[in-house]
Amino acid sequence: PAAAAVAVSDESVYRSASGLSGRKGAGDQEEEDQPLQAVLVADSFNRRFFPVTKDQPRALLPLGNVAMIDYTLEFLTSTGVQETFVFCCWMASKIKAHLQKSKWCRPSSPNTVHIITSDLYRSLGDVLRDVDAKSLVRSDFVLVYGDVVSNIDISQALQEHRHRRKMDKNISVMTMIFKESSPGHRSRCEEDDVIVAVDSKSQQILHYQKTQGLKKLQFPMVNSCIFGSLDEFEIRHDLLDSHISICSPQVAELFTDNFDYQTRDDFVRGLLVNEEILGNQIHVHVTKDGYGVRVSNLLMYDSVSSDLVRRWVYPLTPEANFTDQEGHSCTYSRHNVYRASGVSLGHGSQMEENVLISCDTSIGANCYISNSVIGDNCIIGDNVVLDHAYIWNHVHIASNVEIIQSVICDKAEVKEGVTLKKQCVLAYDVVIGPNISLPEGTVVSMHHPEEEEEEDDDEFLSDDAEVGHRSDKTKQKVFNPAEVGAEGKGYIWKASSLDDTEEEELSQCLWGRAAVHRHGTVFHMEVLGTLQRGLEENISCDNLVLEINSLKYAYNISLKEVMQILTRVVLEYPFQQQGSHLTPSQYVALLLPLLKKWAPVFKNYVKRAQDHLDCLSAFEEHFLEQESHWAAMVKVLMNMYELEILEEEMILRWFSQGATGDKSRQLRKNQGVSTV
Amino acid sequence: MPGPYKETDLTERVEAFLSDLKRGGTGAGPLRGSAETARETTALLRKITAQARWGSAGDLMEIIRKEGRRMTAAQPSETTVGNMIRRVLKIIREEYARSRGSSEEADQESLHKLLTSGGLSEENFRQHFAPLKANVIEAINELLTELEGTTDNIAMQALEHIHSNEVIMTIGRSRTVEAFLKDAARKRKFHVIVAECAPFCQGHEMATNLSKAGIETTVITDAAIFAVMSRVNKVIIGTQTVLANGGLRAINGTHTLALAAKHHSTPLIVCAPMFKLSPQFPNEEDTFHKFVSPHEVLPFTEGNICKKTDLNHVPTFGKSFSDLDISSLSFFFFLNTSHFSLRISGEILSKVNVHCPVFDYVPPELITLFISNIGGHAPSYIYRLMSELYHPEDHEL
Repeated sequence: PAAAAVAVSDESVYRSASGLSGRKGAGDQEEEDQPLQAVLVADSFNRRFFPVTKDQPRALLPLGNVAMIDYTLEFLTSTGVQETFVFCCWMASKIKAHLQKSKWCRPSSPNTVHIITSDLYRSLGDVLRDVDAKSLVRSDFVLVYGDVVSNIDISQALQEHRHRRKMDKNISVMTMIFKESSPGHRSRCEEDDVIVAVDSKSQQILHYQKTQGLKKLQFPMVNSCIFGSLDEFEIRHDLLDSHISICSPQVAELFTDNFDYQTRDDFVRGLLVNEEILGNQIHVHVTKDGYGVRVSNLLMYDSVSSDLVRRWVYPLTPEANFTDQEGHSCTYSRHNVYRASGVSLGHGSQMEENVLISCDTSIGANCYISNSVIGDNCIIGDNVVLDHAYIWNHVHIASNVEIIQSVICDKAEVKEGVTLKKQCVLAYDVVIGPNISLPEGTVVSMHHPEEEEEEDDDEFLSDDAEVGHRSDKTKQKVFNPAEVGAEGKGYIWKASSLDDTEEEELSQCLWGRAAVHRHGTVFHMEVLGTLQRGLEENISCDNLVLEINSLKYAYNISLKEVMQILTRVVLEYPFQQQGSHLTPSQYVALLLPLLKKWAPVFKNYVKRAQDHLDCLSAFEEHFLEQESHWAAMVKVLMNMYELEILEEEMILRWFSQGATGDKSRQLRKNQGVSTV
Repeated sequence: MPGPYKETDLTERVEAFLSDLKRGGTGAGPLRGSAETARETTALLRKITAQARWGSAGDLMEIIRKEGRRMTAAQPSETTVGNMIRRVLKIIREEYARSRGSSEEADQESLHKLLTSGGLSEENFRQHFAPLKANVIEAINELLTELEGTTDNIAMQALEHIHSNEVIMTIGRSRTVEAFLKDAARKRKFHVIVAECAPFCQGHEMATNLSKAGIETTVITDAAIFAVMSRVNKVIIGTQTVLANGGLRAINGTHTLALAAKHHSTPLIVCAPMFKLSPQFPNEEDTFHKFVSPHEVLPFTEGNICKKTDLNHVPTFGKSFSDLDISSLSFFFFLNTSHFSLRISGEILSKVNVHCPVFDYVPPELITLFISNIGGHAPSYIYRLMSELYHPEDHEL
């Protein structure tokens, strides 16, 4: 997959790229004077914003009425970057058109922007491999995503990075920039919550882990010699990942060498694991000032928008009009109310606080607006209540509408008497109403969710031209008036309408609810696969243990979970192979040899008293689900006892210990007859 | 073909200046002093005059007005830029009038003439004079030299105003006031009290600089201004802008200081170079205020948990860490109760609205004296200086 990265690309870029590589060997002394370069990844490689990003790439979604990529470019330019490579994949032509119109592509821009497009980028890894293949970067470069909003001054971090690189040649490959921010702050993304262990003196990262909503975290001491030799290290949970990193050219090379690195997390994890072998280090730079947040889901979109309006990102404020768009200047008045030219406000309407209204929008009488952003040329009726509403351009909202914490995309229409509860999304061109109330978390799009399912994979790659083509093809499905109102147009997107793997991604998609058990299930599948292979290829139990252990680290699973998942996998194994119609006697016949074979694996994990109980509780759980196989249970348990997987004492303790439900009490009774 | 090349070079310079202005000031006022901004603006205008294509004075004025509008829009609170543009426009008018052989001075003297003639209209600037360009550039150079010397000119007057053993109060940091006080310190011995000027606290820097120069310096909080005022002989402050009515737009807290001074009848002296004089009035609300990131008032974050972990105190199954074989073990990290309270503070932080304005308006009646590079003036005299410096038609760019 790595080789595929070099692909369809802009001719002009090729020319300049070859020009650059010619100069590459200019010598190390000049490194300091070389213009600072940046790699901007204008694609998220995920579908968080999905029904919305179907029509517009994420980097172009408006935040405070300015496309997100403009914030990133402004950040790069103000920090002194002179050459930026913008990598686009999804809807590349739109991004390209946007950039060519913007001030970044004017000849007077201090930051030269090269746009590189390819349909074959599937991850950050592919992009960086391409950077390496085309040898675009000559010295240290800044790596950001196209949806980062920041005003952090990275010059100090850059200096530190260069200093480190000078001191020990090429050991430090990356400096990640973090912003101090207390846990629970709205600008901290739940998904990106990290815990970092850092050497206090050198600021080197010793351990990096996403919390994934867990309350208890485990720090492996595998690299104990590092921990041990240090006087002092910090474990910090008050850091907000700004997704800005300063990379050495080796980063691109390392991505080429390790073609399995997909994301920056893979890279960081890989580098930390192999630190002793490769000797590469990653450092952090923690900043107290400035603002740096990635808009990774709609919840973040909400908080970044409100931070922007509350001027946390100064000098990137709405009235600064840093993109130099004609007619987009607005005035700023008390309580953070911004108004562009041509805004009309009806009698008795109130703009409470933190409101941004872009040009030529008219608002009717007796409206109440707070904490909202409204785009160009919108028409809003009378008696409308908007709170935390993000209304993009050319939206029509009729009278008596109430919208709370929702996003309404371009050209959508909301008819009379509609109520949008929290976290609703109306994608492009949707019509809702009249007189309907959408429940919390409703997502409405003009694209039918099923059309998505049918052509899943190529969808991700397709160009916008293809999208247009597809919409012709869409069968004329009828809009459901119960869902979108009598005159409504649009389909409701439900998480349940998608298959399982998609569901996890989508449920956290727009508003970013964290999926906590995700790693558990993947781990489950992996363990199952390992055991299956072990059986087929007759792998010894020691090796199986080794593999499971490595999986445990890869997915960051606690020992207890490993045990429970292992127990369940083994117990379910016969069903897995033969289907669920087995009779109890058949089940036992299949299971017993397996247990015998894998007993050493169990013994490796089940050691302490608590382990036995955990194993038993998994055992109990399994049989609670398989009521018809209770007859087999005793035999299995006996067998496990005989194989010395479980101790008698523990079984008795488990037996006497509290049964939590009616069913489990029954289960115990059933089995108790024989054991006792 | 030097023409087009020159022009792209020029637009590049202008763009760079514009984006500099837009980014200028991360909170604690502009990154560089307004004297520097004034010089840069003038130098840029000289470059425009030299390199842009224009045939008559009218064309040039149009070009400068157009660029000027963009420059003032980039950072409306930085009035120095607009002032320098007006000065240059005035220079062009004068040079044009001189080339024609008439003096414009007479027009302004009589109210009757002012009303009937309506000033020189744009058509009158259409005439072409070959030496005009050189003359204008010459005059702009003179303006630049004048700008170079402003701080020194103000500082030179220090000995007339500061006497021995006086107690002087100032607020925040002004480069002009700093030079003023340092100049006086060469001959006189006096005591300076500096109000720190929260939340940016530039007063601290000011105090350090003054004490380095051997001046006895005390830093006080802004809240103590009134209490300390009774001991003060003179208040000397800098300002960001002098408004057309003789009022000030100065750093936050100056109004408090001025009122306290008024209450104690302490004279309030403002050191302000002429280029800070703006034809703006305090009622222009849109551009008057400047609000910056609330970061300084309420930090984005406070504290961090479990900093500097000592290995021996990490709970590991009830054993002390040293008893265990490190290589085979992992230790747990609990997000404990202290974390919980932090989480609460984080949540509250995100609900709070914080405003952080930078400037205060100080009405003219609170000011005793302005000291500019051309001498001392009362606030009531400002209108006169205004009409000398700027042409009335240039007040609106």
